[in-house]
Amino acid sequence: MSLRVLNPNAEVLNKSAALHMNINAAKGLQDVLKTNLGPKGTIKMLVGGAGDLKLTKDGNTLLKEMQIQNPTAIMIARTAVAQDDTSGDGTTSTVLFIGELMKQSERCIDEGTHPRFLVDGFDVAKRATLEFLEKFKTPVVIGDEPDRDTLKMIARTTLRTKLYEGLADQLTDIVVNAVLCIRRPEEPIDLFMVEIMHMRHKFDVDTRLVEGLVLDHGSRHPDMKRRAENCYILTCNVSLEYEKSEINAGFFYSNAEQREKMVAAERRQVDERVKRIIELKNKVCAGGDKNFVVINQKGIDPPSLDLLARAGIIALRRAKRRNMERLVLACGGEAVNSVDDLTEDCLGWAGLVYEHVLGEEKYTFVENVKNPRSCTILIKGPNDHTIAQIKDAVRDGLRSVKNTVEDEAVVLGAGAFEVAAKKHLIDNVKKTVKGRAQLGVEAFADALLVIPKTLAENSGLDTQDVIVSLQNEHDRGLVVGLNHHSGEPIDPQMEGIFDNYSVKRQIINSGPIIASQLLLVDEVIRAGRNMRKPT
Amino acid sequence: MREVVTVQVGGFANFVGSHFWNFQDELLGLADDPGADPVFRNAALDMDALYRAGETQQGVATYCPRLVSVGSRGSLGSLSSSGTLGSSSAAAGHPNILTWSGNVTKSVAKPHDRNLFLQSLSEEEQNTSSSNDRSNAKKSVEDKDLVESLENGVKFWTDYSKVQYHPQSLYELYGSWTNFDKFDNYGTAREVVSEWSQMEELNERLRFFVEECDHIQGIQFIVDDSGGFSSVAAQYLENIADDYTNTPVLLYCVRDPVSHGSSRNQRETIIRTLHDAVSFSKLASSCNLMVPIGQPSLSYLSPLLSIKDEKYFYSSAIFAAAIHSLSVPFRLQHVGPSSELAHSSGNLDIGELMHMLSDQGRQNMVTALDVAMPAPSLTDRTDLRNIQRSLLCLTPEISDEDEDPYAVESLVFHGALGAGGQRASISQVKDTVCSALEGRATKPKFSHLSVSPCPLPVPLPFPSIFSSSIGQHGEILSNDHAEGTRRKGSLDVVSVPMAARLRSSNAIVPFIERRSTSLQRLGMARGALGSQVLRDWGFGREEVEDMGEHLAKMLRPFYPEMDLTSDSD
Repeated sequence: MSLRVLNPNAEVLNKSAALHMNINAAKGLQDVLKTNLGPKGTIKMLVGGAGDLKLTKDGNTLLKEMQIQNPTAIMIARTAVAQDDTSGDGTTSTVLFIGELMKQSERCIDEGTHPRFLVDGFDVAKRATLEFLEKFKTPVVIGDEPDRDTLKMIARTTLRTKLYEGLADQLTDIVVNAVLCIRRPEEPIDLFMVEIMHMRHKFDVDTRLVEGLVLDHGSRHPDMKRRAENCYILTCNVSLEYEKSEINAGFFYSNAEQREKMVAAERRQVDERVKRIIELKNKVCAGGDKNFVVINQKGIDPPSLDLLARAGIIALRRAKRRNMERLVLACGGEAVNSVDDLTEDCLGWAGLVYEHVLGEEKYTFVENVKNPRSCTILIKGPNDHTIAQIKDAVRDGLRSVKNTVEDEAVVLGAGAFEVAAKKHLIDNVKKTVKGRAQLGVEAFADALLVIPKTLAENSGLDTQDVIVSLQNEHDRGLVVGLNHHSGEPIDPQMEGIFDNYSVKRQIINSGPIIASQLLLVDEVIRAGRNMRKPT
Repeated sequence: MREVVTVQVGGFANFVGSHFWNFQDELLGLADDPGADPVFRNAALDMDALYRAGETQQGVATYCPRLVSVGSRGSLGSLSSSGTLGSSSAAAGHPNILTWSGNVTKSVAKPHDRNLFLQSLSEEEQNTSSSNDRSNAKKSVEDKDLVESLENGVKFWTDYSKVQYHPQSLYELYGSWTNFDKFDNYGTAREVVSEWSQMEELNERLRFFVEECDHIQGIQFIVDDSGGFSSVAAQYLENIADDYTNTPVLLYCVRDPVSHGSSRNQRETIIRTLHDAVSFSKLASSCNLMVPIGQPSLSYLSPLLSIKDEKYFYSSAIFAAAIHSLSVPFRLQHVGPSSELAHSSGNLDIGELMHMLSDQGRQNMVTALDVAMPAPSLTDRTDLRNIQRSLLCLTPEISDEDEDPYAVESLVFHGALGAGGQRASISQVKDTVCSALEGRATKPKFSHLSVSPCPLPVPLPFPSIFSSSIGQHGEILSNDHAEGTRRKGSLDVVSVPMAARLRSSNAIVPFIERRSTSLQRLGMARGALGSQVLRDWGFGREEVEDMGEHLAKMLRPFYPEMDLTSDSD
């Protein structure tokens, strides 16, 4: 082989060996993630070398946790994670679909079909399936007042695959309300405006939606109030701490009085700014039971805090940058960068501001705001791994609601789409294709069934029974999915099981691409750096 | 009190940091120990500058370093990333899964063994609560075993750390498919840096510590710049510069001797050279003072020390000692003129230090670090250049000549010994250093001296790097005393006087020049060999030119005549 002449250390795998390496890697990855899928899947508990725990049922998290070495597996995993990045879910399904495509292809290839025919068939089948999906999807009218029930159904479908039913149902309301809270007509939804905050405290069922904001720090002065009602909120990015001037200036003084003066002069600038804020407070809060809260992105030093506390102002320093944006959306007003032009219009408003202390951690709640356009999901749980898992689930739930609002469509779940698409491919599409590419279409159609099959398998049902009965129903013209409790066909529409349209489209789009690429590999060359070098 | 927040990024930086915090922990312990040298008790070192007081959720008071440590996944060894204060480890045996009612698969990684030292630490913790009296004889035997086990088997930086870390302190980066073994150049960290959530988490961790500071004096940033971590650090520094505009950042770039190893082929050499140039340019652009540390070999640094280059445990120890010395002035309490003689002199905060070194004379923010470990005793007043000569340079690639009339330097001398092994008084040290300065042919333009009587304590988990001619308190014994070749470690040496110096002079020119020219030659010239590499790392043509410009600008103060030509364009 010519490569050997150039580099005697190069390793070469030829045609069938290369192909089988790829197929085996895809199948291997599929086996790892298979048990994850669906509401009856298995949760994975990972214990690290130092005894730290991680719980996950999310394919995406699991792929990131596994230190995958096999290059083929890495390619598949990257596709799957890209899937998560773009649509927020469907990682496990992507891996399963790719694995199944490879498995079906293997059978054909072993019987002597050239991979090229399969790839051509995949291409046809993919386009046909996407067209079918357009027809199959259930449109959702979003408009000004989206149908809360549809959104709840889709969020519940996602969440129930990650958390137990009781908690999933509780979170369903939370994520739907959160997305509807930040949604503005005619604008893309920015999920960053939903703050996700966690507290290691109490139980998972104490997780709730705060219409307003929760900050993970408190005021740093003992005399400031811990709870205040009817508050004006000043959101600012102004340094309220004394900083040395850039020019190197020393203090020269001959007596204590003189020194005092010098120090006072140095501080005057900062005090001036604090005074402006106090003036505004006195103006807006005059004669009434109103309070004033300053939330600053920059620092506030103790003398300034002192002045503010004496004026009865609650002040928080070093707020998160993103919270400045959220605060304005939640409370109204605007974020000010200088105290020169402070007016009442800059102020936001909140009905209740209070502090919650857990050990050394302080949380400040800004609640009862008018017309919030930003909110906080406060996750509680007894330990870190529980919190982390709920957090992942909440993210997925939010994404699924967002996707629905943006897609203005959903797809019937519980495997109904896959069975219907298979029937469509076999009945209508296969005939239009000439020659051996038909085999590709058939393999593609069979591979689609991996979703209902795995769902059945994870529920402890007989896979073949289930598939046969599902297909029978479809042949009779009924669109049904799988009831994972009984194994009987059900109508997903009635049960409220829906998947995201964009997730499904993405899976059908990216799966065959990567599978085709892997099938067309006929030589694997490993040269240059020795990858197997012991480290 | 002016707080310092410490950030450590990268494998070797954490090794250095671990030693650094061990010193601090030892100081804290000695200050409370009635049997210890009174100098530690009276020392005016304010530990609150580096530490924070807090409490756990159970209400137990804690005193932890104000630290953010960033490492790669799995670099923490047997320490859990939630720190030693977290209670999660107790529940790990049989956790109840609250969030899922279905099946569970458990996959357990092989637990890292705790070495003898860590075992004894946790044992001690339990013992102090039950009984305090233990036979000392038995203990000393144990100590020997502990030291030996550390000498031979340190794999992770946590293996020799005796400090309790705050749950917010330790962060492990995960690169989805970045192999951290190959995390060896600037480009490899792209995936990590571009992942928004990780950088956000890092910023959050830092914010946690900064938020509770009343008057933060600065951020002390230690980075292992030999690999992809310099890219992480550069991004981190940029965020810091954005968020904490007026907070000075003192950056130590530490490198272990192994990373200087020869590269195997031309491509690797190009990548290495470009990495050095790019990471230097990027790191320097968002900090206020930069101190590159890391000689290619430490074995022959001094006859008084024997350091094995290949062991991180060894090489990091001396760097940590130097960084400790430099941090002494940040913690000296500001005392009135009357008590100055007894305690210390020359307190300095990070901002002042930067101002002094980088804003005066030349606008040069890259400084060289010299250290004397142990510092010579002040007996020999005739040999005034003694101190000068004992300072060994830890900054690589600098010129030897020390004849720069524009140099600015800051010297820290702590725990100096006088005649007969007595602690020298502050004024004695001052006099000696001043007369040494007088004796130099070219005096620096400005020199600052900080003195503290408190020497460097040698904690138990400190490598045996001292030669046999060093005494118990770090004095240098005359040669005939013991001509053994046995290395001395923490069991024989209790404390060491130290001197460290930061120097901003033209000695650093070759260091900058090399990076500047290599970027010109490999990255910017027409048809340069490395332009493809830079493109792979995600740098556009213009960005590379900006970096080149930045490096050239750093050189300009040293060549006043260059100003004329560069102004014309």
